[in-house]
Amino acid sequence: MMPLRVLLGALGVAVGLYGAWLLLDRQETVQVVEVAVWFLVGVLVHDAVVAPLALLAGAALPRLLPVAARGPAVVGLVVVTTVTVVAIPVLGRFGALPDNLTLLDRPYVAGWAVLVGLIAAAAAAVAVRNVRQASSAAGGPQA
Amino acid sequence: MTARLPLPREAAFTSRLRSPAVAARVGAVLGVCFAVCFVTGIISHWAQLPRPAVPFPTSPAWGYRVTQGLHVTTGIACVPLLLVKLWTVYPRLFAPVPKGARRLLLTTLERASIGVLVASAIFQLATGLANAARWYPWESFSFRTTHFAIAWVAIGALLVHIAVKLPVIRAAFGADVDDTALDRPSATVPGPVSRRWLLRSTWIATGVAVVATVGNTVPWLRGVSVLSVRSGDGPGGIPINTSARRADVVATAMSASYRLVLVNGDRAVYLTREDLLAMTQRSEKLPIACVEGWSASGTWSGVRFRDLLDLVDAPRGAHVRITSLQPKGAYRRTDLPSNFADDDRTLLALGLNGETLAPDHGYPARLIAPNRPGVLQTKWVSRIEVVA
Repeated sequence: MMPLRVLLGALGVAVGLYGAWLLLDRQETVQVVEVAVWFLVGVLVHDAVVAPLALLAGAALPRLLPVAARGPAVVGLVVVTTVTVVAIPVLGRFGALPDNLTLLDRPYVAGWAVLVGLIAAAAAAVAVRNVRQASSAAGGPQA
Repeated sequence: MTARLPLPREAAFTSRLRSPAVAARVGAVLGVCFAVCFVTGIISHWAQLPRPAVPFPTSPAWGYRVTQGLHVTTGIACVPLLLVKLWTVYPRLFAPVPKGARRLLLTTLERASIGVLVASAIFQLATGLANAARWYPWESFSFRTTHFAIAWVAIGALLVHIAVKLPVIRAAFGADVDDTALDRPSATVPGPVSRRWLLRSTWIATGVAVVATVGNTVPWLRGVSVLSVRSGDGPGGIPINTSARRADVVATAMSASYRLVLVNGDRAVYLTREDLLAMTQRSEKLPIACVEGWSASGTWSGVRFRDLLDLVDAPRGAHVRITSLQPKGAYRRTDLPSNFADDDRTLLALGLNGETLAPDHGYPARLIAPNRPGVLQTKWVSRIEVVA
């Protein structure tokens, strides 16, 4: 396995360096500097903003929901948050052009709200079922 | 006194879900998606070469529609996959620095490669997602050049990452997802869901992201693709990218003095739109497939491109340069390789879906060829020149 790994690693370095050369060779310095800024900001936004927010959500969950509801809530949150990230460019309609009515021509906020509503409803339905099952397994609500 | 950031320690992350068993499974799917994006991206750049050394094929007519649709769709699928993948490995960011020069060097190199991989992955997905929605929040760099260059960086860093992690990947796939052999010592606290359900959530999120956007290029899913950049509507039933107004051709396209010029050496033929309509009319069902990932199929009518070349005795195998009425822009002039110029399905279109070509679709005449990126299907054609 070791020769294969060395070969793969060497190939990876070569391919990556080719990409770096493509980047540096075909653009002006000011353009490359902006790419570098974007490169770093992307990582920073994830590591210093997105990931800590996920940590906070993970810490808050047990305080807000009963055990039986946490599973469906996590599944729902994974789907809603990641799909929302995908939706950012259309929700903001940042690329809309006044002279092109065929571009960004849907009611995105409404569509997103319906999508989130459906996912939340499905998660809530499973959560309610789980809580009921948990309480009946424990002998029903205490009198 | 020194100020210190209150950084967490790796050992402070206790969830059993943040495990190599999960990371390897999500990572494998993510790796396949990156490979698909890379290959389809290379195909798209090949298709856009003005004079490719290896000719880009004209068949199947829907080829570019599929590869570019796949490129953007797979890229969108990567967003949930990458976010979950990064979540599972986030504690590694705070791993202690090893002692000893050799181990320190190896760890530094590995972490540098991870840094490049994460940065290039985020960069590719962010710029690609923005470009697909025609959003250009950057000031100076060229999307096309940069997205192409960083793709090689990302794939290179991914190969290095696979080389480094191969033993872990093999061990992870050789054992059950709940196996704890590969876990960090502190990762012992059960999560709110099982690992299986974390994986299922990831697949569901990926599926929802795809279905919510893929209507851009898969017509029967338009109804449910609530987040697709285009509904699919437009003049003649097909969306547009650049309007006649934006291209600054409204006056010249509608002018009675419009003439199409055919040039071969010192021979030149001038044709009005009426002259073009008086020639043998053909009809072809061909897709318009944009680099931004949207596509739509239309029935185009007009003059066979080869018939026009015959008017100036252009030999078969000749490359052609097409010029648009638009006064500026990178795609004002495009090269049509000989295999496209000679293909019977290639038209100078005058109509779309039974209607006169709309100004936004390229009135008075536009190029439409099979298996060709939409950006090279030149609109408002004013000059067709044989360049040998």
